Amino acid sequence: MENKDPPNGESAHHHQLTKKPRLTRFITESEIREEFAHHQSGIARINNGSFGSCPGSVLAAQRKWQLKFLQQPDDFYFNTLRKGILHSRTLVKDLINADDVDEVSLVDNATTAAAIVLQQIGRSFADGKFHENDAVLMLHCAYEAVKKSMQAYVTRTGGSVIEVQLPFPVNSDEEIIAEFRKGLEKGKASGRKVRLAIIDHITSMPCVVTPVRELVKICREEGVDQVFVDAAHALGSVKVDVKEIGADFYASNLHKWFFCPPSVAFLYCKKTSSSSDVHHPVVSHEYGNGLPIESAWIGTRDYSSQLVVPSALEFVNRFEGGLDGIMNRNHEKIVEVGKMLAESWGTNLGAPPEMCAGMIMVSLPSRLRVMSQDDALRLRSHLRSNYGVEVPIHYQAPRKNGEAAVKDKDGFIMAYARISHQVYNTFEDYCKLRDAIYQLLDDPQISKKLFAE
Amino acid sequence: MATHNLQNHTLNGDHCDSTVPSSKKPKLSSPATTTTIISHSQIQSEFSHHDLSIARINNGSFGSCPQSVISSQKQWQLQFLRQPDHFYYNQLKPGILHSRSIVKSLINADHVDEVSLVDNATTAAAIVLQKSARSFYEGRYDKGDVAVMLHYAYGSVKKSVEAYVTRAGGRVIEVQLPFPVKSKEEIIAKFREALEKGKENGKKVRLAVIDHVTSMPSVVIPIKELVKICREEGVNHVFVDAAHGIGCVDVDMKEIGPDFYTSNLYKWFFCPPSVAFLYSRKSSGQDNNDDLHHPVVSHEYGNGLAVESSWIGNRDYSAQLVVPSVLEFINKFPGGIEGIKKRNHEAVVEMGEMLVKEWGTHLGCPPEMCGSMVMVGLPVCLGIYSESDALKLRTHLRNNFGVEVPIYFRAPKDGEVDPVTGYARISHQVYNKVDDYYKFRDAINKIVSDGTTCACLPN
Repeated sequence: MENKDPPNGESAHHHQLTKKPRLTRFITESEIREEFAHHQSGIARINNGSFGSCPGSVLAAQRKWQLKFLQQPDDFYFNTLRKGILHSRTLVKDLINADDVDEVSLVDNATTAAAIVLQQIGRSFADGKFHENDAVLMLHCAYEAVKKSMQAYVTRTGGSVIEVQLPFPVNSDEEIIAEFRKGLEKGKASGRKVRLAIIDHITSMPCVVTPVRELVKICREEGVDQVFVDAAHALGSVKVDVKEIGADFYASNLHKWFFCPPSVAFLYCKKTSSSSDVHHPVVSHEYGNGLPIESAWIGTRDYSSQLVVPSALEFVNRFEGGLDGIMNRNHEKIVEVGKMLAESWGTNLGAPPEMCAGMIMVSLPSRLRVMSQDDALRLRSHLRSNYGVEVPIHYQAPRKNGEAAVKDKDGFIMAYARISHQVYNTFEDYCKLRDAIYQLLDDPQISKKLFAE
Repeated sequence: MATHNLQNHTLNGDHCDSTVPSSKKPKLSSPATTTTIISHSQIQSEFSHHDLSIARINNGSFGSCPQSVISSQKQWQLQFLRQPDHFYYNQLKPGILHSRSIVKSLINADHVDEVSLVDNATTAAAIVLQKSARSFYEGRYDKGDVAVMLHYAYGSVKKSVEAYVTRAGGRVIEVQLPFPVKSKEEIIAKFREALEKGKENGKKVRLAVIDHVTSMPSVVIPIKELVKICREEGVNHVFVDAAHGIGCVDVDMKEIGPDFYTSNLYKWFFCPPSVAFLYSRKSSGQDNNDDLHHPVVSHEYGNGLAVESSWIGNRDYSAQLVVPSVLEFINKFPGGIEGIKKRNHEAVVEMGEMLVKEWGTHLGCPPEMCGSMVMVGLPVCLGIYSESDALKLRTHLRNNFGVEVPIYFRAPKDGEVDPVTGYARISHQVYNKVDDYYKFRDAINKIVSDGTTCACLPN
């Protein structure tokens, strides 16, 4: 099955993904605990979304690859590395329903994938292929690294950046679609072309699953040149079918929700005429041989996290229902505990359950008086240091334009906790957060001290 | 002699280093006393994970890392995996700053801001060349302005120059270097010629990319003299590609005086794969050394290359974090890194001379133009007539004789009679033994006595 050492050929593996492994039984609770025994005990680790997690068996597989390199690196380079990366790429291709393994490259992370796509756009502006002020569209809550990448590669080369407001809290896909259409109109104003639209499949902060298929369709209808879906959180959170989604570029991390060690991500590039001008920015011997080959050698480094994809898949298949089973259970659990917390605190969820995957935004009681992003960060540190709870806090500025702000019984709600559920989490983790917030509320002095300058 | 323990120095804060930039390179290590010197068997133990059936005489390609540093790396990795948020907020940045501070002292840079850590020299080259590309695109350089590089520049760097300079409208001039080479004067003369050519038709030489130690064939370039010539001739920026630099040759930024200098730390400085530094001299004026950016843009964009490079998204930064552990390892050797370099050099020259005497060939350059590697001429009867032949021979040596050594094909020139066309690039690092080179000698002798030529070898 998928767990063998570098294979003799990859054709066999196309079929193996769809066959359920012949297990005698599924992974047990205590085996799961064992796999994540390296996680710091005493911490309610409810932030899988930020840095992901990796089970002991995959880490062990990684160490084997690392040792192989150290033992005889020349032999590894000439005889082992490329085959291993091709094997990983092939598994990813099947997981995401891409047509051809040539469409799948492995890179460090979604940040790298964004740089690759945006550098291509930047070159087109610099070469004069695009006109000055042609537009690139992104969500206003796009990941900060992507925003900076836009500055570096689009703004700097003469392109215009158009931000689409993501409504939050949000109640339906239609709200997002409406804002997106507005943003597209703005992009096309004065006869400009919209050269690229960057759409998050799952936004980071605040966290919402977007109606990405509809948004891509609208882009096609409205004549957007290319669409890049930044799906940093997607693989292992939601179903990923790149043909169905229909974007030109699609990138997702594998170390967040797919149990790979830090770090590895895939960048899917649909075969079209422009996809031949994407390059890895670290140019090496393989320059010009296609992005997947370029990315497979960007100088001497540790490629082991790219090589353990087969082991990660093996781990996933020990669970009932494989990856689908894990995703469904994570979703059910996070909605359950999200609702539990909202009820306990008298607050609400930031989005309906159908717009969530393995993460959910739960608003914090207004009495906590989180009034800025700095406050949110301080609260997060305080929860980590004093309560052993690791959870990111999002500050949501009150809406302008006289729209009804969200309130609880004590005032305006301006802060949300983004809680995650992964296979190692327990109900107690979320009770710990619940109780920590209770304690903070019980002692208003603590809140004052926390946020006072 | 006053020495100081570098670790205490940097741990107390960087301000001590920056207030008094001295021109003399500070002493980094306390010389190991007889009670702390690493023993021969300890060295063997540190490298016991190497495949012991192989005569590993190619440290130059992929470097090497001792067990104690690997263990230290695992500890860092575990710290992250245990509680990544805490690691990110509280441990990562101080750890990287500590490593950078050590490198700054090692290379005699003025300020830690001048030192960034990146994956490898290939990445560093991309960073410098992207800056040049921007200067072309944004009109600071004219189309047809020149970048000069050595003909023997590393393949990846050549492609990078193509991707970023040629594509943006720059013209590339290659310095043709003789090989075998007899003296540094030969190199200096060719370099001057290339600069002259670059300045033809009123064009400017915007960038010189100069290897400190070329890869294949491997020769130590007279870098100090070439940088001086570049300054005299008005070259805007000098970028020294010292992939093999630190631990192999003397690396002193004030001595050499480049604008940009990169060296890998996993080749000859015992770090795990992979980490390198990129030094960028603080300069002022219109076409200064600013505007360097890591191509993987993240949150820290605009905060200076060193800070940008310390966070390029979620990944394993442990190779950058073990520099202090590496320094500890190195200081167990008499004379620290200087002692290691000196002994490697002496050993590889000795082994090289042993081999060329055995085969009646010659070294590719005089000993003073070698660091820890030397090019050894191979018997002509092996029939190495192409790069593909060289690779076949290398594979044959690996698979049939347990010898790992890269082979260089040197195309014969017109008029040469029976020239040596193949050279082996042998390396010496602390784990090597004389037997490794005897094994190579015997392997070649066997191949010769069997009458095997490259034409007979499988692809």
